[in-house]
Amino acid sequence: METNPVQKGLAGMRMSNESFITLFMIGVLIALFGAACVVVPNFYLPQNMINLLTNNWYIIIVGIGVTFLLITGNFDMSVGGVIALTGVLSVYFCQGANVSRNELANGLGLPYGVAIALALLGAMSVGAINAFFIARLKVPSIIVTLGTMMLARGTAQVITRGAQRNTSLPDVFGVVGNMTIQGTSIKVSVLIMVALVAAAFVLEKLTVFGRRTYLIGANPEAARLSGIKVARHLTWLYILSALLAGITGILLASEFKAGVSSRATGYEFDALVISLLGGVSISGGFGSVLGMFVGAVILSVMTSSATGLLLSPDWQFTLKGVVTFLAILAQRYALDRRKG
Amino acid sequence: MSSTRQESLRKAPDRSEALRAYVKQFYIYVVLLLIVSVFSVVKLGQVPMFGRGHFLSPDSIINLLRAAVPIMTLSGAFTLLMISGYIDLSVGSAMSLSAVVFAWMVLNGFSFLPALAVTLLMGIVMGFLNGHLVMKLRITPVIATLVTLNLFKGIALLIVPDGLSAIKGSATSPMPAWINDYARQGVFLGLPWAFYVAIAVILILIVVQRKTILGKYAVAIGGNRTAAELSGIDAMKYVWLLYVIVGLCAALAGVARASYMSLGDPLSGDGMETDCIIAVLLGGTAFSGGEGSVAKSIVGALIIMCVTTGLMTVIPAFWQTVAKGSVLVIAVVLNHLLVRGRVKA
Repeated sequence: METNPVQKGLAGMRMSNESFITLFMIGVLIALFGAACVVVPNFYLPQNMINLLTNNWYIIIVGIGVTFLLITGNFDMSVGGVIALTGVLSVYFCQGANVSRNELANGLGLPYGVAIALALLGAMSVGAINAFFIARLKVPSIIVTLGTMMLARGTAQVITRGAQRNTSLPDVFGVVGNMTIQGTSIKVSVLIMVALVAAAFVLEKLTVFGRRTYLIGANPEAARLSGIKVARHLTWLYILSALLAGITGILLASEFKAGVSSRATGYEFDALVISLLGGVSISGGFGSVLGMFVGAVILSVMTSSATGLLLSPDWQFTLKGVVTFLAILAQRYALDRRKG
Repeated sequence: MSSTRQESLRKAPDRSEALRAYVKQFYIYVVLLLIVSVFSVVKLGQVPMFGRGHFLSPDSIINLLRAAVPIMTLSGAFTLLMISGYIDLSVGSAMSLSAVVFAWMVLNGFSFLPALAVTLLMGIVMGFLNGHLVMKLRITPVIATLVTLNLFKGIALLIVPDGLSAIKGSATSPMPAWINDYARQGVFLGLPWAFYVAIAVILILIVVQRKTILGKYAVAIGGNRTAAELSGIDAMKYVWLLYVIVGLCAALAGVARASYMSLGDPLSGDGMETDCIIAVLLGGTAFSGGEGSVAKSIVGALIIMCVTTGLMTVIPAFWQTVAKGSVLVIAVVLNHLLVRGRVKA
């Protein structure tokens, strides 16, 4: 009886902590954007705003998988390696067979569709390896995914001999990544990103799968006891994350029409940063894809205003580090204030 | 009560348990021996085995040990931290930053000891920062140290002047030649000072682990932090201290690296954290803490050095990443088979 008013209060008057943090970060974003408009010349131009929203599409696609995993309390550091591997694989499968004496110009000569499917399969198998070690053998995710990152990137390096493959590709290879929406300069990749974010939002909020993800993050033991197959769920999430990284890899390879083994170095950290900026809590059970999207825009405002102020690119690491700390602390402070 | 019954049921195959313990105690030495003997026997036609002479010639052993100084300096402290159930992914960047700062000071006319002192102090500060973030602000260790990884790397990149890839001597202001004295010039048995310093660090850490309160508390905290705190251990203080020790060792490793290469490369420590993790896992330290040995991690570190330098002579450079990744996966599997099963029971 006595708990009734409290429950009513919770349901009726207060929004969830998650929406609160998302709104909080949107507020931070607006403040940052305002400050950048004042300080950086030409920052307010519409074209620049569009760029801010669209330039980070690859990190956002990768960030979806990383966010889901973070919500369950697991890391995926292998995404950067998977992007490189998938890109290189798709190029290798697509290159004409026996066309040149240069080994780097010879591939398997498969049709584009088959090449992409096989490359994505390769990406998903990396995810499956992750899942096997993490979900079945219960090895900490950070150790396993650091290892598979090296395996994936290393395989890409072996296929490209430490460099890149970019010759004897069919014309169709470069189409998807460079296609733009008619009449605008927005790439199809951005459209794919928007579709994936929307799908992820539905998956997260409206399906049993999404609710289970949150429950596993909040308390894996309770989740297991209430009948959720935690290992199987994590397996799907890791495969999903690798698949998203694979899609990114294929789009990037198509955009540059090359499979570069050093592509996407450090993307795993960027994906982590935008999730954290968006309010995903690493202790699990908390966070959202929409928040991650806001975090990505915050990061892109930061980096592009740093570029606009003519800071050397060396500032990027320091900037990202400091911003992430501030974000973590600010979110915690805001949540504590709200509670107390 | 049912859990105790399960436990006794699981204990049934006693002999295999004893065998496992036996294997666990000695496998790492066998692995090292195996790798060394394979590399000293394998000979590929025109490939000159490891610099001058063979894998086991004095020259190449000295080369190997000199190159192994940074990881030997680091992995002991890293082990203690992992025993207590925490992790520091920023060691590589901390090492790079120390190398850059040390090289910068030497280039700008400081003599060895002041430069060393400042670098070590900076190592302490870096460790303190990590400890503060993890223990005081309670940010998850992986996240906190991943962020400091980028922070330290960023600062190191900022110190290096635009247009240069590292702090190094130029025609107008050459790097003093004595910078090599510490980690390259042989003083005893052909090995440099840095090597003996690393040995000293290792010995101290072995004693710390086996004979001091810090070592016991690290095991207790790693085994069960709540229980350790309830029995009066100030976990925050001790883990913080461990982070500081790791930072200090990272700085020392950075000095050795800078002296060895006679330049301060802001990326020279990249990947050191994975090397340390491999060494520690090979050494049989449990993933989740509570069990482990400094001495065995050092053997693990030597194994990595043997594998990487040995492979460098046999296969092209672009195979290195795959090779190291495979070693890490093998280390995880070995560790799972030998350590995990018993801890979890």
